[in-house]
Order: sequence, then C-alpha cells, then structure tokens
Amino acid sequence: MTEPEVRPGAVVDEEVALPPSMAEEQISVATQWQLMWWRFKKHRLAMASTVVVLLFYLVVVFADFLAYSNPLASEAQRSLLPPHRIHWFDGWRFSPYVYGLTGMRDPNTFKRVYTPDPNKKIPVRFFTRGFEYHLFGLVPTTLHLVGVEGTTPEESLFLLGTDEQGRDLWSRLMYGTRTSLIIGLVGVSLSLLLGVFLGGISGLYGGVLDTVIQRVIEILRSIPTIPLWMGLAAALPNDWSVTQVYFAITIIISLIGWTELARVVRGRFLSLRQEDFVMAAVLSGCNQMRIIFTHLVPSFLSHIIAATTLAIPAMIISETSLSFLGLGLRPPAISWGVLLQQAQNIQALAISPWLLIPSIPVTIVILAFNFMGDGLRDAADPYGH
Amino acid sequence: MAQKRTGMTRREFLQNAGLATGAIALTGLTPALATAAGTTDPKIGAQLIGKLEGPTLILDPAKFPKKFSEAPMLAELVKAGKLPPVENRIPEEPMVVKPVHSIGKYGGTWRRGFTGPGDGENGNRIVSTDKILFWDFTGTKVMPCIAKDWKVSDDGRVIAILLRKGMKWSDGTPFTADDFVFWYEDVYMNKDIQPSPHPDFMVNGKPGRLTKRDDYTVVFEFPEPNYLFVDILAGSTAMGGGQATQQFFGRTMGAYMPAHYIKQFLPKYSSRDEVDRKAKAVGFDGWLSYIKNRWDWRLNPELPTLGPWKTVSPINTPTWGLERNPYYYGIDSEGNQLPYLDKISMGVAENLEVLNLRAIAGQYDLQERHTSMGKIPVFLENRSKGNYDVRLDPALNGSDATLQVNHAYEGDPEVAKWLHNRDFRRALSLGIERDQLNETFWLGIGVAGSIVPADSSPYSPGAEWRKKWSTHNPKQANELLDKIGLTKKDSEGYRLRTDGKGRLRIELQTSAGAFIPHTQVAEMIKEQWKKIGIQADAKEVERNLFFTKIKANEHQIAIWANDGTEVLYLFPRHALPVDPVEALLGHPIADWFASNGKAGKAPTDPQMVKALELFRSAGSKKTAEERYKVAREIFKIIVEEQFSIGTVGQSPATMGVRIVSKKLGNIPSRQVNAQHARTPCSSHPATFFFKS
Amino acid sequence: MLAYLVRRLILAVLTMWAVSVLSFVVIQLPPGDYITSYIAQMSSSGSFVSEQEANALRQQYGLDQPQYIQYIRWMKMVLQGNFGMALEYGRPVSEVIGDRIYLTMVVSVAAIIFTWCAALPIGVYSAVRQYSFGDYVATFIGFIGLAIPSFMLALILMYFGFTFFNLNIGGLFSEELAEAPWSLAKAWDLTKHLPLPALILGLAGTAQLIRIMRANLLDELGKPYVVTARARGLSESRLIIKYPVRVALNPFASTIGYLLPYVVSGSIIVSLVLSLPTVGPLLLKSLVAQDMFLAGTIVLLLGVMTVIGTFISDLLLMWIDPRIRFEGKQ
Repeated sequence: MTEPEVRPGAVVDEEVALPPSMAEEQISVATQWQLMWWRFKKHRLAMASTVVVLLFYLVVVFADFLAYSNPLASEAQRSLLPPHRIHWFDGWRFSPYVYGLTGMRDPNTFKRVYTPDPNKKIPVRFFTRGFEYHLFGLVPTTLHLVGVEGTTPEESLFLLGTDEQGRDLWSRLMYGTRTSLIIGLVGVSLSLLLGVFLGGISGLYGGVLDTVIQRVIEILRSIPTIPLWMGLAAALPNDWSVTQVYFAITIIISLIGWTELARVVRGRFLSLRQEDFVMAAVLSGCNQMRIIFTHLVPSFLSHIIAATTLAIPAMIISETSLSFLGLGLRPPAISWGVLLQQAQNIQALAISPWLLIPSIPVTIVILAFNFMGDGLRDAADPYGH
Repeated sequence: MAQKRTGMTRREFLQNAGLATGAIALTGLTPALATAAGTTDPKIGAQLIGKLEGPTLILDPAKFPKKFSEAPMLAELVKAGKLPPVENRIPEEPMVVKPVHSIGKYGGTWRRGFTGPGDGENGNRIVSTDKILFWDFTGTKVMPCIAKDWKVSDDGRVIAILLRKGMKWSDGTPFTADDFVFWYEDVYMNKDIQPSPHPDFMVNGKPGRLTKRDDYTVVFEFPEPNYLFVDILAGSTAMGGGQATQQFFGRTMGAYMPAHYIKQFLPKYSSRDEVDRKAKAVGFDGWLSYIKNRWDWRLNPELPTLGPWKTVSPINTPTWGLERNPYYYGIDSEGNQLPYLDKISMGVAENLEVLNLRAIAGQYDLQERHTSMGKIPVFLENRSKGNYDVRLDPALNGSDATLQVNHAYEGDPEVAKWLHNRDFRRALSLGIERDQLNETFWLGIGVAGSIVPADSSPYSPGAEWRKKWSTHNPKQANELLDKIGLTKKDSEGYRLRTDGKGRLRIELQTSAGAFIPHTQVAEMIKEQWKKIGIQADAKEVERNLFFTKIKANEHQIAIWANDGTEVLYLFPRHALPVDPVEALLGHPIADWFASNGKAGKAPTDPQMVKALELFRSAGSKKTAEERYKVAREIFKIIVEEQFSIGTVGQSPATMGVRIVSKKLGNIPSRQVNAQHARTPCSSHPATFFFKS
Repeated sequence: MLAYLVRRLILAVLTMWAVSVLSFVVIQLPPGDYITSYIAQMSSSGSFVSEQEANALRQQYGLDQPQYIQYIRWMKMVLQGNFGMALEYGRPVSEVIGDRIYLTMVVSVAAIIFTWCAALPIGVYSAVRQYSFGDYVATFIGFIGLAIPSFMLALILMYFGFTFFNLNIGGLFSEELAEAPWSLAKAWDLTKHLPLPALILGLAGTAQLIRIMRANLLDELGKPYVVTARARGLSESRLIIKYPVRVALNPFASTIGYLLPYVVSGSIIVSLVLSLPTVGPLLLKSLVAQDMFLAGTIVLLLGVMTVIGTFISDLLLMWIDPRIRFEGKQ
C-alpha cells in the first residue's frame, strides 16, 4: 500500500501558541531537526534527564574545581570519617562552619571514633584556595568551589566522609566521575562507528560480505568477555602509565561492544531493504552512499539513537563490573568502578556505609541517559504521534 | 649451655634434667614464654589477645593411663563386631595429650568454611599430627609426634626416629618402618615420580639415604653432618610435612606412605600396561596422574591416613567432610581416645565476603582461616548474635608488607644503580611513616619496624634492631639522598635521575588479594615518599603475573609478606634469595645459590655474599643455639643493609583472627600463629570438644 | 531452503573451530601457566612449593610443550569426547561442569522468566500509554535494575537479608541440605533460595527488554496499517496483539541468540557475590588459575552455545518476518 508522501508533523503541537495557520506554515517548512527538537521538548522526563546529563559532563570538565582535597592524599588520622555535618548559622549570621575533629580508635569496638571539638570552628567558604591544578589542562590555578580556610589534614572539610586511607570521598568522586564518563563517551563513539558501518554493509549488501561479517561477530560474541579481558589486560605492556592503560581499556571495551549495535543495524537494514522508498531510490538512480545516508539511515535513526544511548550506560556498567573483578582500572586510578570496588565488602556496609555513596551518581547517570534516549528516540521517529 | 651430644635420647635427657629443655633453656627463655610474648604487644586489641597456652604431651611411660575408652559412635561399631576394641586400636605407646583446660566430651560436628579445591591447607593443617615430629604449643621446642623419639649421632650424619609399636593406619593395617622404606624405594627413588632429589633430603647438594634398622626404627643417613635435619622433620618442609601436607596435588614427599594401599597403583607391582589401563578406565591419562590422585587424602576417601580425621566427602565437592579416624594414635591423659569431635564439615564459599558473613552469622564453630582483620569491628559487633568470641593471635614475623628489593635487577641501569646502593635503601626506609600504615591497615594492632621477627623468637637479634633504619626520619633520609648524589630536583620536588632522563621513578609491584591490601599500602608509601622527593609507581598485577615477573627478574621492588622468616632455616625465601621458585630478592641470585654457583648470577654486594655464606654454614652447626647465633648475624646484616625494608608486622593478619563458638571447649586463649607450627595444629584440634 | 541450511551448518562448524582457537589463545595470553598460578596461590596462603616440584608438575601436565602442540593435543581430546582433567579439582572436567550445569540452568531460566514476565507487559503498556504517568512509573521501575550495579545490589540485599531477616547467606541450599541427595525437601529448599538471585539477575535484563519492546511497538503503532485496522473497527487490544506486537518481536529473535549461552553460563558476577554453585564462578576461577582444560572447555561450550543460538535466531527471524526469507531475491 503506497501513500502520498506523508507530511511531517501531521501532529497538532499543543504547546506551540501560534495562530493555526502560522503554526502549520512553520511546521511545514521546519527542518527535520527542528521537528525533533519540538517533539523532544514535550517529553518532560527526557528534558530533565538531558539537563542532568549535561550537569554531569560539567563535572567532568570542572572536576578539579569542584574537588577541594587532593584525591590521593592519604592520612591515617582521618581514616573512615563519616560525612561532616555542616552548621549553617553561627549565632544569627549565615556563616557555615564545621567543627575540627579528633579521632581515635575505640579499643572496645575497634572502630575509628571522631569527636567534634566545639572550640575549633572552621569556616566553610565558597571560592577558596586549595591544591593546585590545571584548569582545562592549561591554566594553573588553586581556586576551588568550596573549601575551608586553614587546611591541616585534621582541619578540613569532608562532605561525604573519607575512605580507609583518609582520602576525601567527595573529591575522589569528582575525579571518578570524570574518568568513568569519558570512558563511556569515547567507548561508545568507537562502537557506534564500527557498529553502523559494519552492520550497515552487512545488511545492505548481503552475500559473502554479510556472511563474513556475521561470522566475525559471532566469533567475537562467543568468547565470553571476561577471558578476553583477562588475556588482553595481561598482554598490555607493563610500563604503560595509568592513562594509557585506561584508554587501552576503553578501546577494548568498545571493540567488544560494537557487535551488539551491528547486529541490530543489520536486522533493521534487512527489513528496510524491502521498503518501497528504497526501491524508489534505487530505481531513480541514487548511488549507494546516498541510499544509505539520505534514505535508510534516517528511517532507523531512532532505533540507532535508542541503542546508542543505552550503550553509554552499558559501557559505564562494564567498567564498574570489570573493576569489581579486578580487571579494569586499578588503584591509584580513580573511577566509579574503583570506588565501588573498595566499598564492596561487609565492613563498608556495616560500619562505613557512606563509602557506598558513589553508587548513587552511577544510578542517576544511567537512568538519565536512558530517559534521554527515550526522548530522542520518540522525537526522531518520523511516523510517531 | 650447649646440649651435649652423647647419643643420649631426648627422653633420657628430659628425664635427667627433669624440666623442659631444648630451645627454651638454650636461649635463656623460660617457660614463662607467654608473658615475654605479651610484653611486645601493642595497647590496642590487647583484650583480645590471650595468654599463650596449649596442650602438653606426657612423655613418661610411667604416667600413661592404663585404661582406655572411646567415642560412642565407635563403641557401637565395636559392639557390632565391625571394629576391634579400643585397646587393640591404639599403639602400645600412644601419644598422650594433656588437654589445655579439661578432659573433653565426645561428639559433635565442627563446621568451617573453605574456598574450593585449592584450599587444601585448610584441612591439612588440622590433621598435621601425622607429621614425624612436631612442636610444642609455643612453637619453639621439638616434640614427638608419630615418632615417639629420635636420636642424632655425634657426627650428625645419622638421625634415627623411633616409631610406636602397635600403631595402625586408619584401616587397621599396622604402621611400621616398611612404610618408610616403601616410600623411599618405590616413590622417592622412582624417576618417573621424583625426577631429582629434593633439597630437603640433601645436605650441601649431596643426597641422603633412608634405611630401616628394625620394624620400628627408621634411619636417615647423610654423607655430611646435617644437624638441621631434626628441625626439618619437625617443620612444614618437604620431608617433615606429613602425609596430608606433602601428598596433595601431585606432590610426592613426606617420608612415608601406606605401602599396602599404594602398591596396587605402581607399575612395579603388576605391570605398566595394567596400571595404565586401570587409570584410563577411570578417566586419567596415565598411571602417574592416577596414583597422584589416589594418594591425595583430600580427594580419595579410601586412602589410609594417620591423622585424627579422614576425608569422607572429598574437597572437590561443595562440602569437604571429615570423620574421625578410629585408629588414631592419640589419647588424652585419662585414656580417652582422641579426637573428641566426631566430624568436621567444611562448606564452600565462592567468595570471601560470603565466608566472613557466615562466620558473623555464627555458622562456623571455629574459623581462623580467611577471616580478615579489616572486619574485626563487624565481628565484634555481632558477637552475641553469632554466639562466638573473637581472639587475636599475632604472628611472629616482622613485616606483613615487606618491600623486597630485587638485588639482581638490571632492566634500567639508573634504577639498578640506586637499588644496589645501601644508603638509597636506607633513605627509602626512613621515608616510610609506619605508624600511619599501622593505623590504617592493621587497625593499630601491628608492630612497626624492620623485618626482624618478634623479640620472643630465638632468631631475633634483639629489640634495637627493630628500630634500626626503620623509623620515620625524612630529614635523615633527605640527607642520605643528597649525599649519594641525587641532589637535582624538578619543580614538584621530585629528585631527578643522574643520567638526565628526567624524574627518578621506582616501581612498587604488588598483587591483589593478599591478606593485607598491599596495593593500598604502596599507595600510601608513595604519598609518604613525596616528602623525600622520590616518585614511586604502585603497580598492581594478577597474582600469577606477579610471580612470573619475579621469575623473569623484571621487578624493581615487590611487596609481599615475610612470613616464615621467624624460623629462618625452615623457610628462608622471604629473607634471602635462596629458593628459585619464589625469589623476591633476586631470581638469578637464588639460581646461583641453589645450583652452588653453576647457574644464575652471583650477587655483586659483598654483604649479600656474606649473608648467603652464613646461611649455608648454618647446616653444619651442631647445636640449635649456634644456629640461632648465625641467624641473628644474618638478620643484622639484612637490617643494616636494608636488603628488605620492613613496615608493620607481628599482626593477626594471616590466620590470626579466630572466631570461636562459645560452645567449644579446650580452646587456648592464644595460640602460636606460624607456618612451622601448622596453626591451628599446635593447639591439637583433636582435643577440642563441644561443651554441651 | 535446504541449501541455505546446509550452508549455515558448514559456516557454524567453521565458526566453532575459530572459536576454539581464539579460546585457547585468550586463555593462554596471560603470562605463566597453571603451575605458576598454583605456586602463587600456595605462596599467598602461607604454603610453599619447590622449584623441582614445579618442573615435575609442568612436565607431567604437558605444560612445557609449545603452545600449538598443547592446542592440538587438546583438540584431539575434545573431538574424542574427552575434556581432560580439571587440574585443581582432580576430576574430569565433564564431571565438574556437569555438577553445576543443571543448577545454572535452573537459576538462569528463573531469571529469564522473571525478566520476560516483567518486561513484556511494561513495554507494551509503555508504548500504548506513552507519556502517561503510568508510563513513567513503569519505565522507572524497569530501569532501576539496570542502573544499580548488580554486584552492589547483590551484596546489599544479601547483607540486609541476613541482618534483618536472618536469611541464609548466599548459596542455593541451606547448610543441612547441601550435601543431601535430591528430594522434595531439597527441591523446595532450592525454590526458597531462588527469588533473590532471580530478582537481581532478572532486574538487570528487564530494562533492556522494555526499551526494545517499547521502541519497536511505537514504531509499528505509527504505521499506516494500524491506522487502517483501527478505522476498520478492530478492538484496541486485538489490534495491538495480533499485528504490531508480532512485528515488534523481530528484535527478540535477535536476542534469543545470546540467551542460550547465558542459560548455560549464568551470570558470573552476581553468582560470585551470592556464592551460587553455578558455572559462572567456576569459569572465573579457572581463568585466574589458568586451568586450561576447565577454562577451555567452558569457553568452548559457551562459544558453541552462541553459534547454535545465533542459528536458531536466524531461523526464528525468517519465520517471523517472511520478507527476510526471500532475502536472496532482491
């Protein structure tokens, strides 16, 4: 059954408060992307999620600024500090402060016990000076968003408490966020490229090429990731720095991840090949590239976007799982996986549960990406309501 | 006071002296060893560290009980005619154990946790009274075990052990010197099984020989004096290790085997084709693999053993189950045949969190293995809920996380130059803030200092050697580093290499999954060394890779525990590079030492050469005291030169956190925590019982 | 059709061979071998092995041979149905895996049933009532499982189960029944222990399925034939179930491919944390120990399962979407 070309946006957009005739006109001349944007705005949860994701990527850029304590500076005297209580009002003035703490190990329970010293009021301020870092990797500075004045190890701020080695969890979380989110992004970009390209060729041309690619995919999928990982991780040269290992890991994860996307793309291509508009394009003499990118891709774009946005969190989860097994990033590198791995024990659950806090941003980011992907998928669908 | 070598037997000497002699008296330590050990313990955790105590052996036959009794479950079998009466099951001269607190009651199952087929030591250690000789509960004095006595000839070449008349295997067959001869002739000398002689049965590279003098006397002969051999028989070594320890996973040592059972699996007694055929019929690829499975007590319930319990449900199933050995040769001081407990049931836990959680839930009756020190607060919190007590048994070795410097490192000539420089090593050591490490990773329970063993150990050169070069003194460290020429620093304060290639970086290699988190210790040390301008790179690798790299001589400094050094001669590899299989201090040097100079590379440091020579000379020293003196000299050299840099030790990190159900009796308040004492065996688990 | 099947079969065999080579390579990649691992394990638990013993063992297990000889030897054995000895267990590999495989399948199937029962209805509802409050709530629940790292969730649930409810800690059986022979009581014990693993494992996969279901159904619902059917007066529910859902099941056929190996291997991480006696932890441990025969056999098994699964996948795809059947004819 053929139809005359469907008018895009045959939907009444209630939120566009323009006189009907002008709205229709606007819609009829709007580009595909503008239409996508309008539809996307409708999905409130997706909009909110996008904001969340953007905020997280802000953290990626400004991690050093948001942290106030050197994430590697260990100090036994503040090991396993619970989150610091901030007192907002000093008398009647708004002047946030925290108490200095003295810590000792209780000989009966073996736990570290911290008692606030009411005489030591340490002011908490915005835009303070702290450890040095390079903003955007270029500009050396010591400015931090929040911090305390007068920073001996015991007199400091610990918003989320400290870990076993006395390192501030908030600062470590900032750096961990940066590492994990970058891995997610870079990994997915690579997977996307490989997946669409190879899956597309496979679905479009069929025949021998299809068979070969399918077999390669099958072989790669058949090997469980963990052995593949262990082998590859062990084969990495010893003297690589943490950063190099980290990128190698990202590449390896994406090399395994592309097969998922490729298989799905191929499936869609196989179905779409039969569509009339493709036949029409072929008959009207379009070359292969044009067929793929101008005609085919937009029609399954929604599906690709959905799969891609799901891929980013999947990559993040891969990183955390591999770190849990000890195969991914290892200390002294900091990532969500490393932070969670250090919290994956009974004493954390029973005695120092604040160590589990990093699981909250992980959860939020993953949810956010998923809802964002939802919204994008819906918005990009040319036949959607 | 040197022990006179008059060919007198141990028992005779004891009878004459009338009090405990041997190691304790010779080093001036008194039987009040418990308090001596107690004084070096730190304040925190003191209430959980008890007094060293344990069962003792009654050696005077005049004091042996005359009437015997047995467990009800065995009495039933006797009544049914399936088992001979108890008097016929125990030897004429049994091992008489006086329990630490009281005579026990029969019955009950001891529940424990293990981690899978690789965790054989979990059970091995419990049945280690199948060793030829053993230690007393302090871990310092050699005592009879399977052998009721031993004699060393004047010249130290002939060591004879006396077996117990009437002793039987767990299936009732008599245990005699023939079982030793069988092992020696048919297993040890069989080139298919044991291609070359084992160092533990050699002296200065020359092999020893085993013969029988009569049915109950076995003689070990050496071409040269081997006074150390008695210690070797008592320790956890290839010769002394007992059937359970030495015949698992393809190992072939331990000086005896059940001849009557194992014969059927050897080609000699039928034919090679016959045994191959039998092996293949059950799925093994040949008689060799099959026989190694058959003499493995963990896998084969049919194997006759001598220990207090034998396997009924093998280790490669979800529950490793042990049941009492009706022919066990030990009795208590009132004539009750040991063990008191009927069964031991070990449940598998795929990961350590689950195991510890089950311990907390009170699902284990006594667990000292795989319990982690970091969880002590959680263990303490749940004591009443789980109905157990927590006890801490500090070990005797000086350093749980030792920086073992590779003295044969050549990969990077600049780094190699510094690693071979004693002032550099001393500076590194002075740059470590051990109290910080102690507080963070050892919960403050450990003892900070160098690698020397506990003050109470006869091998220790003395308390002042714990602090030598091993305090936190960044000022002195910086001075030393400046003095040796590392004066140039970069903008961040790190010292630069003298060959102009930038910052000097030292690699600390660690492995995951040890009882102390070595990688995190390395991270902390890295932070501490900032103050002395040294950049460290902490590199964590898989355990296998860790040892592979060591073997390939690739590591610069590797962090590992130095357990075993508290009895230097029985387990020297963590103190000196003498054993090629695990040579953290330099594989080529270990090769050179083990091959007597034929392979590997000689050490370049004259002090290292001296230490190794001293070590080699110890075997020819007649008395224990002389050997201890040599050991002390060796430790002094190691500390002075800082061949190994110690951090914190004498802690309960390994097998020192004991979760004990309140229902168990005869549990010592503190036990020796050491490899050679086969913890918990020095407390004679056969005397543990359920109070109700 | 027959030609197609035969061709696929030959390809499948070739793939399996490639998988076997890759498995072998990957397992041997980490430096060292089983003996190194054994020594390492002994050393870190306070025991020791001598150089000599190490060499003798290497010789005995053929580990001193070059790689390709070891591979050929292994392949020869496998083709004869002999999977070798699991070095650490001292038992034939087939027994070791066989012990665990039924339980693994039980747990995996339970998880899959949970996933499908949860995901399909939520997915359909979500697509049909797009943007409604119910849509948001349902989607949220579905995604929680994906968002929280499974190992963390497993540990937390296990710990709180123990602290507040005195539930059994990990494993699939209570202490007393673990070694007992199979009986009704034991089966009931197993059923009582299943909900926690099934929940954790199932939750993780739910989100994936919801999303796919929803996406595809939405695509289909926009299609002209749906509008027509609605106009023709077909009831809403009949309309949805009969046509669009069937087409939306298209990608499910793709996913069935890797359900098969999952059924056999189970989840590695969650099984490890919950100490389930399944194939997953076995694989991990054998990899760490570099136990060639055990690890190699499991990896090969998974590979074969995947190939078979993909094959079934393609067949299903052909059946569901007749257009693909004629792919050769364009």
